[in-house]
Amino acid sequence: MGVMIKIKNLTKKYGKVTALDRVNLTIDPNEFLVLLGPSGCGKTTLLRSIAGLEKPDEGEIVIGDQIVFSADDGINVPSGRRRVGMVFQSYALWPHMPVYENVGFGLWLQKVPRKQAREHVDSVLQDLDMAGLGERYPSELSGGQQQRVAVARLLATKPPVFLMDEPLSNLDARLRLDMRSELKRLHYQLGVTTVYVTHDQTEAMTMATRVVVMEGGRIQQIDAPQQIYRKPANIFTAEFVGMPRINTFPAKIHLQNGTSWLEIDDINIPLSWNPGQKEATAAIRPEDILISTRPIENSPEFHVYAVLPSGPEMYVQVRRGHRIIMVRENRQLDLQMDQPVWLKIDPAAVNLYDSQSGLLLTSENKRTA
Amino acid sequence: MRKNMIRRWLNLFRARASSPQFILTVVLLSVLAYLVLVPLYGLAERTLLWHAADTRISRNIEPGTITVFHWKNILSGRISGSFFYKPLLNTLLTGTIAALIAMLLGSILSWLVTRTDLPGRSWLKTLLTLPYIIPAFAIALAWETLFRNPNIGGQPGFFQVVFHVPPPEWLSYGPVPIIATMVIHFFPFALLLVSGALATIDTQLEEGAELLGAGRWTILRKITFPVVAPAIMAAFVLTFGRTIGTFALPYLLGGPIRYYTLSTMLFTSLKMGFEPIAYVLGIILIIITSLVVYGSNRYLGKNLRRFETVGGKGFKGEPTRLGQWRWPVFSLVGMVAFITAIFPLILLTYQTLMLVRGRFDLGNLTLHFWVGTSNPNIAHGEPGVLHNPIILGAIWNSVRLSVLSSVISAILGLVIAYLVVRNHKSITATLLDQISFLPFLFPAIAFGAMYLSIFATRQGPIPALYGTFTLLVVISVVKRLPYAVRTGTSAITQIGLELEEAAEIEGASWYQRIRKVVMPLATSGIVSGMMVTFVGMMRELSLIILLITPQTRVLMTLGLRYTEENQVQLSNALVLLVTLITIFGELIVWWLGKSRLSRLRENQMAGKKG
Repeated sequence: MGVMIKIKNLTKKYGKVTALDRVNLTIDPNEFLVLLGPSGCGKTTLLRSIAGLEKPDEGEIVIGDQIVFSADDGINVPSGRRRVGMVFQSYALWPHMPVYENVGFGLWLQKVPRKQAREHVDSVLQDLDMAGLGERYPSELSGGQQQRVAVARLLATKPPVFLMDEPLSNLDARLRLDMRSELKRLHYQLGVTTVYVTHDQTEAMTMATRVVVMEGGRIQQIDAPQQIYRKPANIFTAEFVGMPRINTFPAKIHLQNGTSWLEIDDINIPLSWNPGQKEATAAIRPEDILISTRPIENSPEFHVYAVLPSGPEMYVQVRRGHRIIMVRENRQLDLQMDQPVWLKIDPAAVNLYDSQSGLLLTSENKRTA
Repeated sequence: MRKNMIRRWLNLFRARASSPQFILTVVLLSVLAYLVLVPLYGLAERTLLWHAADTRISRNIEPGTITVFHWKNILSGRISGSFFYKPLLNTLLTGTIAALIAMLLGSILSWLVTRTDLPGRSWLKTLLTLPYIIPAFAIALAWETLFRNPNIGGQPGFFQVVFHVPPPEWLSYGPVPIIATMVIHFFPFALLLVSGALATIDTQLEEGAELLGAGRWTILRKITFPVVAPAIMAAFVLTFGRTIGTFALPYLLGGPIRYYTLSTMLFTSLKMGFEPIAYVLGIILIIITSLVVYGSNRYLGKNLRRFETVGGKGFKGEPTRLGQWRWPVFSLVGMVAFITAIFPLILLTYQTLMLVRGRFDLGNLTLHFWVGTSNPNIAHGEPGVLHNPIILGAIWNSVRLSVLSSVISAILGLVIAYLVVRNHKSITATLLDQISFLPFLFPAIAFGAMYLSIFATRQGPIPALYGTFTLLVVISVVKRLPYAVRTGTSAITQIGLELEEAAEIEGASWYQRIRKVVMPLATSGIVSGMMVTFVGMMRELSLIILLITPQTRVLMTLGLRYTEENQVQLSNALVLLVTLITIFGELIVWWLGKSRLSRLRENQMAGKKG
């Protein structure tokens, strides 16, 4: 069903601001690709460029076997002829048209006979549990129903590419959860290439087959959600993904008895590999640290700074000098303010980043000293 | 590489030039250039040419050749005093004083009706805006009815009948009545502007000061006043700007004693056949207005924006209690409302019912001027309003002109607004925006002079339009365009871009998008703008007075003619008619703005983009 989308060297500038900076991306057919990043990172510009609502300055976009945009050849296929559908953040339902006209607009444009169109719209509404709401106007629907109408508009013409621009951000938390599973289910059933923009990392993690992390108009990382979370390619991604935020420390590395040791302040962690440089930035997820109420080896003494219970787990901030470390504990510990504690860090979960470039250090790309 | 670049540009250009929006922009740009720039150029050019009539100055003059004589003549010649400097001084004097008083009165009243517990304040506020709706012409006629002075000739006014002495001349004609009527006409404008600012102040600002122990007077002086000060300044500058172009008030109340302002001087010189003088005055009027608008935009734009963040939630707190002053202040404000809004209308109505002018006893009352047929003993045989073919024709012309120009300007304004809003980066669209704003800088009478100078003769393929009804429609549409574009802009901006993009993605062409999405959604927004234009054109006088011929008479110009012929009952009846129509129109505008449906739609359209 879905088609492949190829993006080559796409660049878009607004005055002096670079919204897209030589972006290269290939989206596989049937993929659910999520563009993730803080506001102003270029994700929406990228999506709108694919849709044909924005005209890039440089580069090329290919949808299926059709070149829809090419700066060099002066090609810019109007969005109506790109065979893409889009759900907007505001849903963009036409307030002066009842639901069935909203949904059937594309069919009307394609000159589908009226009766046939109406039947098709009815069946789409039926599939989305919206039967009987065809005569209503958008303002007479709840937020969730409006969202479904926006989706129904896609399903009516069923283009091979679905584009979604933060479609769930206007729903309340509970409804958002329901709609996530519905959209995922829909994607599974239709197998349509889906490009989905969001700034909500949970949404990205839960829905994507692959996540594209963007910042400053550039792609920071393209990977499966788990990989993005466990092995962020650079400091930006490491810090952007994950709640609560990842702990980062300036660290020193020294060799002792044939083992590399990571030295964060006066905590010492043995590494299983040699990064090959003396200094690095260490990033440790809060759940990769365990709290001990008794002294343990290689850990100095910390003091409890704040305890933040949160249902199934608890966040604990511990302090030593001016440094505060966030820990996520699955155990229900009975901790008092300022109580002395010790930390156990899982060495395998520590990611090291080059302090200058901010890039992940691995055993493959390590600098040979 | 080079070939690549050329192909690229060629493709881009082809896409651009064939886009319907671009074509429309270029077409509108050329039409407006013809209707705005060419007349402006024509007016300027004619101030620099010898005219045929100038041959009376010297026989050596060759009409059509270039000269700076007219400018020299007006700026430093023998006539410069009476034709230019005195009228200029009068214009500035009456304008400044009137704007100052209107600003003070409007600001105080607006505070009273928006922020205190004055009884019936919402009703009072509505009543106090009425004088702005009533045509200035009507206010001038009412003033005359009250203070007519027998020195000028004619029958006594109401003042003389009551006090048995004629009013002093300075109260009947000249700067005092002109300023007074300008204040009556313009103070509601200041009131609306300042109440707008007062309504958006976050009362928490004032409450914060109150918690710190500031007294009511201190709060007013230190918090409230500084925050609304830019709006008060705006009221002054904008009112002043408007007084420059007023025609009816100085014409009716200054004309009889030869007290001229620039606009009435322009009119008078045209009437006396001094065309070059009139044209030079027109250019000077445009320059003064442009300076005022430019200065106010620069100064006020900056200062108004500085306080914009103050807006906040517009949370309505407790109104200030007037305490024991509540009822005395109420009677005072009520009196102002009565004198400025209701009394003039009563006077006008009463006047239309008087068989013999100046006799205010009940036995003199008659309906002749409304329903009577021709009677040679009364008013030279002019029949009453309902039987007078000239008046009925003028009513028809007025309605026709107002309807046509409001509909055309609304549609044109919407189209221009669309092109400007949706292509805000394109040079042609920006140009279109600026050219459609230009008529805002032309005082109505100067604009009329421009069209008179250009369209009196054949212009290329376009025949001489002077004397045609079409010309009236054209000038009305162009003059209202700045307002129409502004209304259209707010209507278009309310239609979220995503609504159109959604249609675009579905494959709708530009025409289909306009027809199915933009037009249906914008209509409710521009209908009230259309009504505003309708009302404005109903009471318009100075814009068209130079272009009217007997066949194209409208109510206002006919009213002016009756005034000049001393047929006061009839002129009052016509002006009263216009007043009633405009009040009725304003009611419709108000009702449209209030309707629940339009607000619902706006909420929906604004979208919920975070």
